[in-house]
Amino acid sequence: MLSFLMPARRGSGLGMALPALVLLLAFFVVPVTLLLTRSVTEPQPGLQNYETLLGSATYLRVFGNTFLVSGTVTLVTALIAFPVAWLLAITTPRLAGILFGIILLSMWTNLLARTYAWMVLLQQTGLINRMLMAVGVIDQPLQLTNNLIGVTIGMVYIMLPFMILPLYGVIRKIDPAILQAAALCGASKGQALRRVLLPLAAPGIASGALMVFVMSLGYFVTPALLGGTSNMMLAELIVQQVQSLVNWGMGAAAAFILLVVTLILYALQLRLFAGRGV
Amino acid sequence: MSYLHINGIRKVFGDVVATDHVELEIAQGEFMTFLGPSGSGKSTTLYIVAGFQDPTAGDIRLRGQSILNIPSHKRNIGMVFQRYTLFPHLSVAENVAFPLRVRRMNRAEIDDKVRRALALVRLDGLGERMPAKMSGGQQQRVALARALVYDPPVLLMDEPLSALDKKLREEIQHEIRRIHQETGVTILYVTHDQEEALRLSDRIAVFNQGKIEQVGTGPQLYASPATRFVADFVGDSAFLSGQVQDMTGTGATLRFADGTMLRDLPLHGAGRPGGAADLMLRPERIDLTPGRGREGASLPVTVEDVTFLGNSSTISARTPWGEVLAVRLTFGHPLLGQVRRGDRLTVQWQAQDAHAFARD
Amino acid sequence: MLMNFDKLGTWRWVLAGIAVLMALFLLLPIVFIVALSFGDSRWLIFPPPGWTMRWYHELFADPRWLQSAWTSARIAVVVMVLSVILGLLASFALVRGQFRGRAVLRAFFLTPMILPVVIIAVALYAFFLRIGLNGTFTGFVAAHLIVALPFSIIAITGALKTFDPAIEDAAILCGAHPWEARARVTLPAISHGVFSAAIFSFLISWDEVVLAIFMASPTLQTLPVRVWTTLRQDLTPVIAAASTLLVLLTVVLMIVAALIRKGKSR
Repeated sequence: MLSFLMPARRGSGLGMALPALVLLLAFFVVPVTLLLTRSVTEPQPGLQNYETLLGSATYLRVFGNTFLVSGTVTLVTALIAFPVAWLLAITTPRLAGILFGIILLSMWTNLLARTYAWMVLLQQTGLINRMLMAVGVIDQPLQLTNNLIGVTIGMVYIMLPFMILPLYGVIRKIDPAILQAAALCGASKGQALRRVLLPLAAPGIASGALMVFVMSLGYFVTPALLGGTSNMMLAELIVQQVQSLVNWGMGAAAAFILLVVTLILYALQLRLFAGRGV
Repeated sequence: MSYLHINGIRKVFGDVVATDHVELEIAQGEFMTFLGPSGSGKSTTLYIVAGFQDPTAGDIRLRGQSILNIPSHKRNIGMVFQRYTLFPHLSVAENVAFPLRVRRMNRAEIDDKVRRALALVRLDGLGERMPAKMSGGQQQRVALARALVYDPPVLLMDEPLSALDKKLREEIQHEIRRIHQETGVTILYVTHDQEEALRLSDRIAVFNQGKIEQVGTGPQLYASPATRFVADFVGDSAFLSGQVQDMTGTGATLRFADGTMLRDLPLHGAGRPGGAADLMLRPERIDLTPGRGREGASLPVTVEDVTFLGNSSTISARTPWGEVLAVRLTFGHPLLGQVRRGDRLTVQWQAQDAHAFARD
Repeated sequence: MLMNFDKLGTWRWVLAGIAVLMALFLLLPIVFIVALSFGDSRWLIFPPPGWTMRWYHELFADPRWLQSAWTSARIAVVVMVLSVILGLLASFALVRGQFRGRAVLRAFFLTPMILPVVIIAVALYAFFLRIGLNGTFTGFVAAHLIVALPFSIIAITGALKTFDPAIEDAAILCGAHPWEARARVTLPAISHGVFSAAIFSFLISWDEVVLAIFMASPTLQTLPVRVWTTLRQDLTPVIAAASTLLVLLTVVLMIVAALIRKGKSR
């Protein structure tokens, strides 16, 4: 009855967290802090890095690209994920097991392997273009890589599981009796969907959407391989500034902006879903 | 010298006093039950004996030696918990063998003791089962075997049956009695169920708000409760509220709202003339009669309601000043079947069954 | 009604259609890459004119591929072991601890999972350049450990939370020293969480690209770095062969994980 008061061992247990704490302080907090300070100290003290970043059309386009792609990816994954999660929640365990297997397989397959596949599939002479031409939808191969279309397709592929899984968790918990009640109250299927199922699933949709959006904002690999240098996203900008241009001040400033946006959205998610157990 | 001495235990969590000056001497082989509502300090006292908590003040002595400085795992005490605590990855036999394995006993001795412990709780032949495949009652039997297999000097039981349904609970209560008789182990048993306490225990310590209100055998607590709390918690009871008129050597006189007086009542607690006090009567210790009733141990009442309960019936009777008390008539009582709502009758009792409790 | 598949009427064909399309979409690249690795077209024509094992021969003939795979495996194993040990300790503190600010500490431990890896990579790169860990085995392990640890903590705390501490108390009263009770009772009971933590940590390190690109040196490269640098030059089918082997590894690990789950429920 009182066993939460009686750990059977004296002492707070904080000591056991110490190794992980030290590791994170040494290899996470210190490096990130050092990096962020460079944004206001290099090349000389001041806020000029931020002024440049937020004041020039070139860099604003990078921000624009980042938000555009992240927003589109979030929207598309939500549209696909909702019906799939819904089906997963109500179908037979066997079918759900197969679908989950496919989802987990794609999720755990090496990221570069998946991205490589899309690079080949989407190139001008690739399977997708040739199939579209064979069917007669297009005459000329479409430009699907080295631009934001390719990035979006590649990222939707990567993010889908992260939307489906939380949504599935929420929909599965909905009591079918609630929807039976809606039907008995005279609601048509469309009304029941719009007025009952969607509102009940909303926390899952919002939670998944925030997660996908945040992950997309800082994504590096897919944009770097499927997007061109002319359609840069924020993570690429950071890497380019640091690695190619050795401009640590600018790279750090961009990293700081990405960090702040990420943390704000994360805090929002925690606050929105703190009491709901999502 | 007592076998187990709980000596002035006090435990404070932050600014909450969980137990206060708990003083109890337990004899070897005794079945002692801590009875009380949740939060009354009974479990805390048990956990202090187990060594899961250190008391703020006081001492625990086993055969005269303090055990407070011995860590839990070296106290050699057995315990059955409220929740199922079998090791989920070990079979029944392995669970029971666990205490012997950590004591580095040899294989043959372990096998022998495990077999006997399982026979004791009547689970012979189920040694290979996994806990997840067993019912709650079986799991608690295994837990009991595990706690007894190393012959602990004291067995602690923390509401071990509270997760079971009524029928199973009674069945295992019998088992526990039998095992206590067979092994002669000293048992400290915690429960909030008075029936369970009465059924099992040699003696019962009634806990309330961190203190022991009374210690005694079941019949003692029932027949002469020391406090209003004990009277209320052990057995059924009705309380009629009155006022202390005067106090003499033989008892107190209580005056009720309509002027009715009852004399020579044993008064418990710090009563004073003019102070409020309650008369306690047990439904099964009072009788209903059409006549005038026993002088000084009766009241005229009006029947409010009659409820048939199988082997007995309960009659709600209203006193002249409007309070209601329950009267239980066992099947075959001459009045049963004749009593109707609105009848004017008399309740009467034996003088020793009436108790007055002063209110603070 | 909407929660009963059989009562959905025509809608169920819509749902099923979308699910099938999604499944094809998710499988397409994986199946495609496996087929591609056996195709004999250097220009990745699909369907290929013929079939060959040539790309696998090229893969295994080039010592750089094997070397980087070996480096990856070594790093991933060390990361896995450390991540499980630190994760176990931290999880005990987070689930059983009696100190203030546990929730804050938990949030802190999980931040490396939330922050974009690119920030951690750039920060560690700068830091390691300064303290001389860049291009070292230790540097790789430290970097991967930072991102693997949150997953390990989530898996282990999840298992630990469902384990009733009274069971551990029972073991202690049975005479087991608190550490013995943990080792012999708690650890086996939460083993499924520990195994998940190990598999997650291994896969995260094994597949990790962004940190690795920054940590790598010409002499110390992980497999993803090797794939990355090759990819940037051309889309040779050798990568398809390597990717196929990686898919195979994932499938094996998933089966192992499923077997562990099944063993747990049995």
